[in-house]
Amino acid sequence: MEISQSNEGDALVLAPAGRIDSGTAATLEARLLLAAEHGDRKVVVDFADVRYISSAGLRALLSGAKQVQRGGGGVALCGINMNVREVFEISGFLTVFSAHDDRAGAAAALD
Amino acid sequence: MLRFAEEVMLLLLNDEDGKFVRVPDWSLSYALAGGVLMDLALEDRIDTDLEKLVLVNDAPLGDDLLDPTLADIAGAEDKRDARFWVERTAAWSDEIRERALARLVQRGILETRDDRFLWVFRARRYPLMDGRAEREVKLRIMEVLLTEVLPGPRDVVIICLADACGLFRRLLSKSELHAAAARIDQVRKLDLIGQATTQAIRDIELSLAVLQQQHAF
Repeated sequence: MEISQSNEGDALVLAPAGRIDSGTAATLEARLLLAAEHGDRKVVVDFADVRYISSAGLRALLSGAKQVQRGGGGVALCGINMNVREVFEISGFLTVFSAHDDRAGAAAALD
Repeated sequence: MLRFAEEVMLLLLNDEDGKFVRVPDWSLSYALAGGVLMDLALEDRIDTDLEKLVLVNDAPLGDDLLDPTLADIAGAEDKRDARFWVERTAAWSDEIRERALARLVQRGILETRDDRFLWVFRARRYPLMDGRAEREVKLRIMEVLLTEVLPGPRDVVIICLADACGLFRRLLSKSELHAAAARIDQVRKLDLIGQATTQAIRDIELSLAVLQQQHAF
């Protein structure tokens, strides 16, 4: 799984591509941890190119986002496609993360 | 670090007399089974999605609480969902409970005391020797329930298992339970194996309620 990195205003955008499962989840968690250590207060995770997420992926997102929150920041999500959205909805993740159509909306929600 | 089955047994313990709070057998069986599966998931041995539970790594952990279930999953020919494995693992929940208690005694957290009544019947109690682990579990739960912080994966699991056993009625006062109900509901859903565990328990409760209703008429 590749994770590209860019900026949307003052927010860091992480955009994983492919599957987030037991084989790749640690990479996402590590990138979120790195953002927390780097002092990034606003982190957007763009799921537009993610076609599958398993329990391990959900845990990695939760764990990494918790580290960002510990550093006084926040994580917002965007670009969630239908397959991934179903997992997020059933697992209740959309009650603990704000989800938006695009990066700009997600970044603005972290203001 | 304690395994979830050990943490559940600690939460069930009545500190004053070393006896366990009574919860329905099926709740405890499924909670212990769910705890074993969730430990295997956190050890990167299994992974789940909405349809299936898959083996990721069959290397034993050298842990007598987890390895039997890991071997069972590794030996399965078909891929089944998390609910199937919760129900299957619950079949040996008596052994999980006994092993969890033995480990807590071995760690010096509990001690074993056998009482006899009517000179014949034996009643075993587990007085608490070292309350740190129990306090740590309760603090972890309270921090998540009473604040808006994101829960960590281990927090999600123990809140889910405590809810599955109906333990919050014991851990919280009525007003605290009322205030925390929405948060408990939010957090317990965040793990898919946890959801399968809770659903298995709810289905049994529903079946029993239907049976009771039928007998009432």
